[in-house]
Amino acid sequence: MKAIAPVTLAAVLTGLLSMHAAVADQLADIRKKGELVCGVLGTDEPMSFIDARTRTLIGYEVDLCEAVAKKIGVSAKPRQLAVAARIPELQQGRVDILAATLTHTKEREAVVDFSLNTFVTGQRVMVRKDSGITKVAQLAGKKVVTVKGGTQEPNMRKAVPTVEVVTFETAPQAFVALQQRKAIGFVNDEVSLLDAFGKLGPAQKDYVVLTESISVEAIALGLRKNEPALKTLVNDALRELETSGQAEQLFFKWFGPSSRLKYQTRNFKIDSDRI
Amino acid sequence: MPHFDLAAVLTDEFRGWLISGFLLSLELTLIVWLLALPLATFTALCRLSSLAPARWVGFALVEGIRNIPLLVHLLFWYFAVPELLPESIRAWLYEHNAEFICAAGGLTLYTAAFMAEDIRSGIRAVPITQLEAARALGFGFLASMRRIVLPQAVRIIVPPLISQSLNLWKNTSVATVIGTAELMYQAQRVETASFRGVETFTLTTLAYLSVSLIITALAVWFQRRYPVRTA
Amino acid sequence: MIDIIDTYWLYFLVGQYPDGPLGGLVLTILLGFSALVLALPFGVLLGLARVSERRWLRWPVTALVYIVRGTPLLMVIFWAYFFLPSVTGHKTEQFSTMLTALVFFNGMYIAEIVRAGIQGIARGQMECARSLGLSYVQAMRYVILPQAARNMLPSLVNQFVTTLKETSLGYIIGLAEVSFIANQINIQLLTRPVAVFSTLALVYFVLCFGLSRLAYYLEVRHSRTAAGTARS
Repeated sequence: MKAIAPVTLAAVLTGLLSMHAAVADQLADIRKKGELVCGVLGTDEPMSFIDARTRTLIGYEVDLCEAVAKKIGVSAKPRQLAVAARIPELQQGRVDILAATLTHTKEREAVVDFSLNTFVTGQRVMVRKDSGITKVAQLAGKKVVTVKGGTQEPNMRKAVPTVEVVTFETAPQAFVALQQRKAIGFVNDEVSLLDAFGKLGPAQKDYVVLTESISVEAIALGLRKNEPALKTLVNDALRELETSGQAEQLFFKWFGPSSRLKYQTRNFKIDSDRI
Repeated sequence: MPHFDLAAVLTDEFRGWLISGFLLSLELTLIVWLLALPLATFTALCRLSSLAPARWVGFALVEGIRNIPLLVHLLFWYFAVPELLPESIRAWLYEHNAEFICAAGGLTLYTAAFMAEDIRSGIRAVPITQLEAARALGFGFLASMRRIVLPQAVRIIVPPLISQSLNLWKNTSVATVIGTAELMYQAQRVETASFRGVETFTLTTLAYLSVSLIITALAVWFQRRYPVRTA
Repeated sequence: MIDIIDTYWLYFLVGQYPDGPLGGLVLTILLGFSALVLALPFGVLLGLARVSERRWLRWPVTALVYIVRGTPLLMVIFWAYFFLPSVTGHKTEQFSTMLTALVFFNGMYIAEIVRAGIQGIARGQMECARSLGLSYVQAMRYVILPQAARNMLPSLVNQFVTTLKETSLGYIIGLAEVSFIANQINIQLLTRPVAVFSTLALVYFVLCFGLSRLAYYLEVRHSRTAAGTARS
């Protein structure tokens, strides 16, 4: 079977060689296209989600995408993608910018650039009350579920090295697994977790979100590396939202007392990209 | 994009994940194969039986299973079936690696449905005169099958059966959607952690190919060693 | 189950369209059909290469067919998804990615169907055609392939059924085909997994069973007419 090695090698080499395409000014490209393609999750309420009845994409990050597009002077086009595909899709140019609950981490800085932090939260664990778990450390040796391709799994393992983690394609799918008692805990970003908790309605009395955070997450928009013009513009747009008070309005629209999450105050401002 | 760096994906940690995934895929394939074969034989015999209800049950089973994608089978087994089970069995299931068991269940039914058709074709390929002669000599239906027809059918059945085994090996990759930690699941994990898709997928493809080519070689060997004897 | 179909039938059928990309059952059928239609010429060319007398054509294609058939479809989909844009220089979204992967993968299987179909036609046909002065290509085009096509039809319809089932894997890369939609509905409803997934299974069953009955009918009809054909 000598044909295998040359064929595979040829395919891989072709792929690699074509990756060194010319780097043009992305901002100019976007302006020429007339639209800003934002990669969103579409499965992460209220950051970005599809209302199954109206069948449209809405959310905090969808609104941010629209604000940035307006600043550039083009229309916004949200595009749904899977958690694990966020960075690859940005790198390969299938989306212009990521508004997909992307956590700003040191490791990711090697492959993508980040805007100012648009949201600061932590990752927490939701458990059933009858499991008797009150502290994260009690999850040692037990099973938790979460979504594939994010920082949830590594953070959970760092917090509790002996925990067993099973991952699914989307966070809501993992949540279904928790509700069916397939695992003891469900790990996710605080916002998504509280939203899921809110959706439980009367079943809320059976669940509790543990108070300890297993990590602090600074969420930001993701940008391709070496695009200074676009990055400056995106950050300017975000700063304008903050100074005009619109950022705070957006926060309360999606996360405030009238929403499922019921945050009473906002504990961050969109003004820095420090982690 | 950084250059092709296989070592980056072969760190102790990543290598451990990929190997455990590979071994789990093998384990899943083996267990499903051992469960599917008797089920398939039973179904094939049902379809060939002289009792109409048995034929109908066999037909319904095979067509019902074959016309639904494997993904849907697995989702059904993992998210729907446990809800139908009594509380105690469900709790036991969740304590004992439900992802693996549900994957095994879905894959067994799916593989058995296809194997049943191949076994049935194989038995039918044996000239009907053989069965008639056996019956004339006083053998019952089952005894005729067991002693006369099936042994002849085996030569015809084995190549397509090996083909189904190959499909089974490849199908274990779909179990990643219900959280079964087989090779594809682990490959996705390594890709996320290392940011190195090309290297991860190259290794994974080679891993799948290694077993696929062994199975294919087995088929070729069998057909050379035991060619089908025509009457 | 009826109430679920009642509330969500539109979402099941077309996904977000027209407020978003096309999805649901319509997308599944469209994807499956397009994939088969495009895979056919590709498969025929590969099949011809597989039976070719020229080694430089036959060996690489045979190797390629063995490699692709030994790889899970999901693996091919991931390769297409992560690396197609780099190779083609174009941005590709989930539909095109899935289409490419399916065409490539099924092309290999159709190549084998074509090979079996061609080799099933007696050698005598080719020899007669050549001795009557037709070139290899003309012989293939006017004599062998038309006869082989009748042999291949049931297998091709079965391949279409397989392709339709394969579209379900688009779920994993976020393509909003009918399995993905059903899953979204399940997540929203939460308490009705059996009903939701049974509905999904039923949809596929009706579609695929119908088509495989067609294949069966074609096979029965073909064996009746073939019985009358002279065997050279």
